[in-house]
Amino acid sequence: MKRILVVDDEIHICELYRSELEDEGYAVACANSGVQALDEIERDPPDLIVLDIQMPGMDGVEILERILGRDKGIPVILNTAYSHYRNDFATWGADAYVVKSSDTSKLKAEVKRLLGE
Amino acid sequence: MTYQNYMKNTLCILMAGGKGERLYPLTKDRAKPSVRFGGIYRIVDFTLSNCLNSGIRKIYVLTQYRSVSLDRHIRMGWNMFNRELDEFIECIPPQQRNVDRWYRGTADSIYQNIHILQRERPARILVLSGDHVYRMNYNDMLAFHMEREADLTVGGVEIDRSLASAFGVIGCDGEYRITSWEEKPKDPKSVPGKPDKSFVSMGVYIFDTKALVKNVIDDAKDPASDHDFGKNVVPRMIEKHRVFVHTFRDATDPDGQYWRDIGTLDAYWEANMDLVSLEPQFNLYDPRWPIRTYQEQVPPAKTTVAIDSRGDEQGVGMVLNSILSGGCVISGGKVVRSVLSHNVRVDSFSVVEDSVLLERVRVGPHARIRKAVIDQDVTVPEGFTVGYDRDQDKRRFTISPGGVAIVPRGIILEQS
Repeated sequence: MKRILVVDDEIHICELYRSELEDEGYAVACANSGVQALDEIERDPPDLIVLDIQMPGMDGVEILERILGRDKGIPVILNTAYSHYRNDFATWGADAYVVKSSDTSKLKAEVKRLLGE
Repeated sequence: MTYQNYMKNTLCILMAGGKGERLYPLTKDRAKPSVRFGGIYRIVDFTLSNCLNSGIRKIYVLTQYRSVSLDRHIRMGWNMFNRELDEFIECIPPQQRNVDRWYRGTADSIYQNIHILQRERPARILVLSGDHVYRMNYNDMLAFHMEREADLTVGGVEIDRSLASAFGVIGCDGEYRITSWEEKPKDPKSVPGKPDKSFVSMGVYIFDTKALVKNVIDDAKDPASDHDFGKNVVPRMIEKHRVFVHTFRDATDPDGQYWRDIGTLDAYWEANMDLVSLEPQFNLYDPRWPIRTYQEQVPPAKTTVAIDSRGDEQGVGMVLNSILSGGCVISGGKVVRSVLSHNVRVDSFSVVEDSVLLERVRVGPHARIRKAVIDQDVTVPEGFTVGYDRDQDKRRFTISPGGVAIVPRGIILEQS
């Protein structure tokens, strides 16, 4: 079973994605901060990461750069309510960019695409 | 807007992070761009002078290994840009912002500095190397790049096809769009309309910024890549982007194509010797394209007749077909076809031929030096020889494949 790590400081978003993605047949882990996410990636590398950008402490852009710096080849979907982040070159290392919405169909489609399903 | 104005807004990234292993021992204590060349210059001065003369005013120098001397040189010699006019030259050592490693290659050095591109957001980026000697007006290449609406333009120098197998060879169509890129091919492709010539990459690139960012990120994520522009990024871009080659011409001589990679000890020695030949291919003396450097305050060079305590002449100081930097004193010695950096002293009855002597080298009386590079601060004792006894030289010094003896900095020479 493919494993997805959802990184978001808002617990209800994590829970929403967990339930939606588990329904699709994935195993889902959640991290609520950058430190937690990087620990999790080191401890048990997931097959894909869904990453929020605006978080207290380490933001998603920095987490993304650190993930890429570890050369694990894990695809990352940036997931945020704000589209202006796309202008930041540092976000261009993400494999997909999905605007946050209660409709998770776009997210699920990108997850499927990136996991080659 | 003129191309000059476009150039003013183009960001230049000068890559100066290589180890320069093939120039060892000259690179033992300094990065390759900081190696002295032509008496008073350092190799990086030629590229930086091209930038200055082309109107470029925003330069980041990416340093890495042994950068103290380079950093100091740029601070003291090139600190002439005005921040208030949005001009700058800054040395940036690896920041290791989000990685725990040094630069894996030229493309990785850009990747690791994407945040500086984000800060400037220029439309185009000129990527240069600090290892080459040539005089080039980058505006010509920028005009070509913009006319072609290119994503990437690579500077190409035409060399004899018979010599091209040692280089990265660019193949292109009649519009100069690059169609192939081969490293050291057995059968190099020729320049359109010139069957005897091949295009070799000069390590000069103009990128559309977005294309550069996208491609260095893709490259960073590719575990099979060596993260090198020439080897990996450019060949891959040919397939999906508009990539062109621009024919290099000397900045003030439309027939000139002098470009040298000072990559080896022999290339270093030969390029220095070219400067003291009767008709040098590279012109240091053209006021239309001045080469800038940093020079410390030294007295003028002079030649003297050496006189002993009894008042007898001990030899006439003589300099023929040579470059003599400030502060040199040729006191009764003879210097022929050689390049002397500042404050070199050559004593009576000594002979220096076909050699490069870096700053503060002291050649004692009756010493003889031939076909050598002597690094800074070395004292050659009375009667000592370099370049005359091959076996003896081999035991003491690095000898290049072309037979040049390299006398390293810090060595204590004693007669055996």
